[in-house]
Amino acid sequence: MKKIILPALLAGTLLFILSYSVLYFGIRCFPELFMDYNSPLFNSDGNRDALFYMHPFIISFALSWFWDRFKGLFKGNFLLRGLEFGFVYGIVALLPVMWITFSALDISILMVLSWFFYGFAQALTAGLLFAKINP
Amino acid sequence: MLSVLVFALLPLLSFKTVPSHGPAKYPISWILSKACSLKVNGSTNINKFNCTIPDYPLPDTLTFSKEKNTASIRISGAMVLEVKNFDCHHPIMTADLRKTLKVKEFPKITVTFISLSKYPEHDNENITGTVTIQLAGATRRFEVDYRFTQQNDETLTLIGTKQVNFSDFNITPPRKLGGMIKTDNELSVEFILKARILK
Repeated sequence: MKKIILPALLAGTLLFILSYSVLYFGIRCFPELFMDYNSPLFNSDGNRDALFYMHPFIISFALSWFWDRFKGLFKGNFLLRGLEFGFVYGIVALLPVMWITFSALDISILMVLSWFFYGFAQALTAGLLFAKINP
Repeated sequence: MLSVLVFALLPLLSFKTVPSHGPAKYPISWILSKACSLKVNGSTNINKFNCTIPDYPLPDTLTFSKEKNTASIRISGAMVLEVKNFDCHHPIMTADLRKTLKVKEFPKITVTFISLSKYPEHDNENITGTVTIQLAGATRRFEVDYRFTQQNDETLTLIGTKQVNFSDFNITPPRKLGGMIKTDNELSVEFILKARILK
């Protein structure tokens, strides 16, 4: 259990800093890419902000459990194992979810692709960290 | 001699003359035309938006009557606009503004005209007045700056401008992505009245 919780907390903290830094500077540097978020599709009254900011920890705990359960399947040095873990998450989880999201919601392909790569980068980062601290 | 003549005529030449609608006999009624409109300008931390209700299908009347012993004018009449007619020139912004203004619960904006500091008579005249704006279930009273223009004998234009806040109407400015995209509380409202005098 300790092998799951500690890496999850570390990964959650790292992803929190990285993800929201990228988002913060992305919004300021490329505001036109974020215009579509003014849609009523997105929550606008702030009552779910806490849930929004918990996301890095939710994904980190899920990925930490997944890593601990299946880490034996990933071979090679920590870099290779971390990257493969990120790819597995991208193909198994992100791709189908983004596919159905794009097919069902009136959102742009650019927005869906940005979510895909955002999640993929999170999984790669978490994978590299898990491979290093929980080999 | 010529320079004296030019000097004497200069004040007359330097002002645009306005077709007068004669000495005011109260009450005066204005019939609002379809060309009346309402504009709202606002901004977020990533963009600016300007939204318009571009026309006004109701043939409403504003009636001006004189207050005793003052220049100020009492008005009765209102503009009633449909929130669903807002167009922000961007479908996503349009839909978001309508949602923010709670279009399903409160489908109308009502601008009720209360008074003017004086009856407008000259082209490009600046006057002040009082209105109430009913929006999203809240009614607030505002002092408004007006500019009056008169294109010809028939068409009168009164443009009212006012800075208001979402919070004046108990509306929380929209915020997205955990507040990373925020709409500014302040809005600039401009209502353009196009009218002709009922004779």
